Amino acid sequence: MKEIVIDPITRLEGHGKIVIKLDENGEVQKALLQIPELRGFEKFLVGRTAEDAPQITPRICGVCPWAHHMASTKALDDLFKVDPPEPAKKIREFIYNVFMLEDHAIHFYVLAGPDFIVGPKAPKEERNLVGIIKKLGVDLVKNIIVTRKKLRNLEQLLGGKITHPVMGLPGGVAKPLSEDDWKICYETSKEALEFAKFTLETFKNVVLSNDEYVDLIKSDAYTHKTYYMGLVDEKNQVNFYDGKIRVVDPDGNEYVKFDAKNYLDHMAEHVEPWTYVRFTYLKGVGWKGFVDGKDSGIFSVAPLARLNAADGMATPMAQEAYKEFYETLGGRPVHHTLAFHWARVIEMVYAAERMMELIEDPDIKDPNVRKLPEATPDVGIGVVEAPRGTLIHHYETDGKGIIKKANLIVATQNNSARMVLSIEKAAKSLIHGGKVDDGILNMIEMAFRAYDPCHACATHSLPGSMPLIVRIYDKDDNLIKEIRRD
Amino acid sequence: MNKMCLGIPGRVVKVDGNIALVDFGGITREADASLEDVKPGDYVLVHVGVIISKLSLEEAQETIEMIKELIEQ
Repeated sequence: MKEIVIDPITRLEGHGKIVIKLDENGEVQKALLQIPELRGFEKFLVGRTAEDAPQITPRICGVCPWAHHMASTKALDDLFKVDPPEPAKKIREFIYNVFMLEDHAIHFYVLAGPDFIVGPKAPKEERNLVGIIKKLGVDLVKNIIVTRKKLRNLEQLLGGKITHPVMGLPGGVAKPLSEDDWKICYETSKEALEFAKFTLETFKNVVLSNDEYVDLIKSDAYTHKTYYMGLVDEKNQVNFYDGKIRVVDPDGNEYVKFDAKNYLDHMAEHVEPWTYVRFTYLKGVGWKGFVDGKDSGIFSVAPLARLNAADGMATPMAQEAYKEFYETLGGRPVHHTLAFHWARVIEMVYAAERMMELIEDPDIKDPNVRKLPEATPDVGIGVVEAPRGTLIHHYETDGKGIIKKANLIVATQNNSARMVLSIEKAAKSLIHGGKVDDGILNMIEMAFRAYDPCHACATHSLPGSMPLIVRIYDKDDNLIKEIRRD
Repeated sequence: MNKMCLGIPGRVVKVDGNIALVDFGGITREADASLEDVKPGDYVLVHVGVIISKLSLEEAQETIEMIKELIEQ
């Protein structure tokens, strides 16, 4: 087989760097997060045909290709001012829920599993599927792997390719759902629903029955009172594919609800000299630094934020689980970062139920899946809820559809400010009088895993660990300690 | 934005049980291979130490070309 030389990536540093600065008393003054990123992606789109964007964006961003494919496709609908026929929207939403379930399942079982299923203090060698097998049995793990393969198979069937889908077109989708494909989708949806129900039961049996875990979820160390953002349908229920962007304040009251196309009226980006990350915040509240509370424009996205930003779930079993979630954790909104995991499981149930609803809808087999765009393009904005949160694609083109300007607001970026809060809180609780507790890395790692950030550094990590370096400096900027995990 | 999660393809060098050794242009890393059936020579995407997908040679090549172009900008 031919070998490809992948030279440029050797220039990418593979670690997330955390810098902690102490004051004259050896107490934490501030914490910084520096993440190596490949820049210039938006510039890369300039000069290209907008219609290629749904194929280009998933190629660069392999962790959640479908989220970019779908946000990009929706931006093209808007760009060419064409509303796809209902069957096309249903096919899109169906496959999008397949993807959400698949991505959430990997996260829950493989990435977060070590913290909750195996145990927060489990040795590194068990922080993987092997550890999960020990705890839950080999049959279950086989079931996870098989179910995931079947979901991936649907992505391939409908998307053309798994990693680089070619399904979405402005005004619809590339092909209708054939009877044969429908049968496979239907059978897999049934299995997916059982799988999601089983996952919720497992979570309850393993995690919620253990007081130690529940106390950990509720502990102040992992709590930040921020705003929350997520897409909602007309009943203010969670929807991954479409709807309005709703934001609730730290008390759980609606702060604003808007169409994605008006995002620049409500969201802004804050730049710090020490990192390439641009921190998004709520324009109306303003940037007040890395602090939580109602006066700070920091908000959060992804599973917990979506549940907090909605009034409920649109499907029955997920709604039951939603109620139990808030009853157990003390009402909406929940501010505990580690509750992201439970929220993710509830979303798995919703995704599977929604798959079933959509595939049982007779409309989904209707061959009318494309409306041809006729308008002259100028500006297009599309939004979806990616597994890791609200994702916006914004293109501006000339009259021929060549991109002149592109702006992407990616999910992880929307959680970055809250991630800094998590680091600072960990640092403040474990560093006193210049003495550093080595447990700080574990604490930061656990918070990071809850957000499941898709930073570049995640690409190069070892199984079950985040590649992080924590450097602590005294008041005169002398390095006093370095803790690293490769 | 100016940050993006990267789906940089790596090439599987060897597989030992559920652990694969993956080469990212000179940097080799161990990755969990439980989710995908992989063999030496396969191109894969890795997220937080887990192989999450397998790419065809063509897909891998196109992606790498794109990343190169992006870096050289």
